[in-house]
Amino acid sequence: MTKSFFHEKIVLILSLLILNNYLLISLSLPQVLIKVNFLFFLTTIAIFYLINFSENLYFKIFFIVLVFITLGTPTVDWDPRSIWLFHAKMMFYENSVSYVADNYAAFSNNDYPKIAPAFASSLAVLIGHWNEVFPKLSFLLIFFPPVILMYSFFKSTQYIIFLSIVFFTISKYLFSGWADGIVAVYFGMSAFLMYLLIIEDNNYYKKHFVINLITICFFIILTLVKNEGTILLLILFLTTFIIKLFKKNTSKDIYRLLLLSISFLPIILWKYFCYIKGIGSAFINPDLISNLVLRLYEFENYKLISYFIFLNEKFLLCSIFFLLSFWIKKNVVVFSYISISTMIYIFILFLIYLSTPFDFYWQLDSSAARVVKSLSFLLAFFGLYNLKDYTMK
Amino acid sequence: MKIKKVRFFFLIICIAQLFYLFQYRSGFRYDIIKNAFNEDAGIIYSVSAEVIESRKILKENNISNFNLSKKIRENQYFYQRFIEFNYPARINNSSDFTFFLINEKKTNNCKIIETKKYLKLTKC
Repeated sequence: MTKSFFHEKIVLILSLLILNNYLLISLSLPQVLIKVNFLFFLTTIAIFYLINFSENLYFKIFFIVLVFITLGTPTVDWDPRSIWLFHAKMMFYENSVSYVADNYAAFSNNDYPKIAPAFASSLAVLIGHWNEVFPKLSFLLIFFPPVILMYSFFKSTQYIIFLSIVFFTISKYLFSGWADGIVAVYFGMSAFLMYLLIIEDNNYYKKHFVINLITICFFIILTLVKNEGTILLLILFLTTFIIKLFKKNTSKDIYRLLLLSISFLPIILWKYFCYIKGIGSAFINPDLISNLVLRLYEFENYKLISYFIFLNEKFLLCSIFFLLSFWIKKNVVVFSYISISTMIYIFILFLIYLSTPFDFYWQLDSSAARVVKSLSFLLAFFGLYNLKDYTMK
Repeated sequence: MKIKKVRFFFLIICIAQLFYLFQYRSGFRYDIIKNAFNEDAGIIYSVSAEVIESRKILKENNISNFNLSKKIRENQYFYQRFIEFNYPARINNSSDFTFFLINEKKTNNCKIIETKKYLKLTKC
């Protein structure tokens, strides 16, 4: 078994188990199945660690350090407490996601997707009780599949640079119970897999069954982590279509693209469930348009959004690295793909911030830095990927 | 040789980043990790004493639903933490049991059941 095939199989199994866990909880199946599923997940990680321990050693050590940090960190911030871990706690006690039906504690945004809280609740089911600390560990475990996957694509030095990009862009979101870091990494990896399978004309991976399955799993997980995930995946599909249109080969890979679009099905089902139960989103309300119109003509608003997004130090550094990378080694297709995706997302962010029902400054101050993480990671990752072969010369 | 130097450089960067996260961004506490799987692990660093006390009172009195005084409801932090921290005990506007802050005047139709350091539980 080659090193990469072993890693890809591990990634596929872990991703399927994360999805299966969500399915088991959604169907309110007995807790014993949830425990077995989580035990399989932990066993797979143990196999990954123990079979040839010295392979991918730095990642293994770094993640043990992160486990240590996670287990010693209190849950303080609003989002982890009021949304992610609160939903995990409710799922733990109700053994289902249907608890949202009565819209209890509406401030906790009951309409948000539930894959990360579902995984956290399952860890609590395995341990046998709930507390404030260890369920956060499951958020860290969700990072495993995408981070392990990249070991198949990067040489050892490049992989260490990749890990430093993860630590730099995701930072404390690796262990503090936030879901934004998960969205960022899954978005970056989804963009990469979309590029491999659809945009790049010929490569070995197009016919690689495991990679195709991993792609569907990552797409589904991305949509089920946060609402942003669905928007980001739609952006990837749209950008891919634009690139295909530009390359005048829209018919090529169209069936693969259609097949990949089934990834939207679980989130559509979840949103439909929320809709029939009357659980709305705080962001979608009758004032949406009036808020937008009121703020649309104020130049100061654009300045403020630009300040929070473009002058975010991590976004700025990742953008510079991205531009430098493509200046050193030109690759028009990848550059266009990432630039268009980034611009579309920034445009959507402007629209969302301009129409927010909350205080404009507060909304930016409390969310811009973490929302822009997805772009920071995307830019830095593709900057590195672009230099992959260059550095080998 | 050059590759080895680059690898070593980024390895140091990774270690420095992890140290930075551990030391300055995590709020890591040794007493949390020592009891990471205990039921009350880390709560004193996570929520205020009033919120912790509310759960203690609910458990001692075996109460599954509760109400909050106007003053507690008006404080968004208290309101959300009382709900989230005390789950599976639920807030219920028609509950017989209402929490008041210790310095808050209870309503006339309520009888005090328990008085603690920060809160009093009443039956209304």
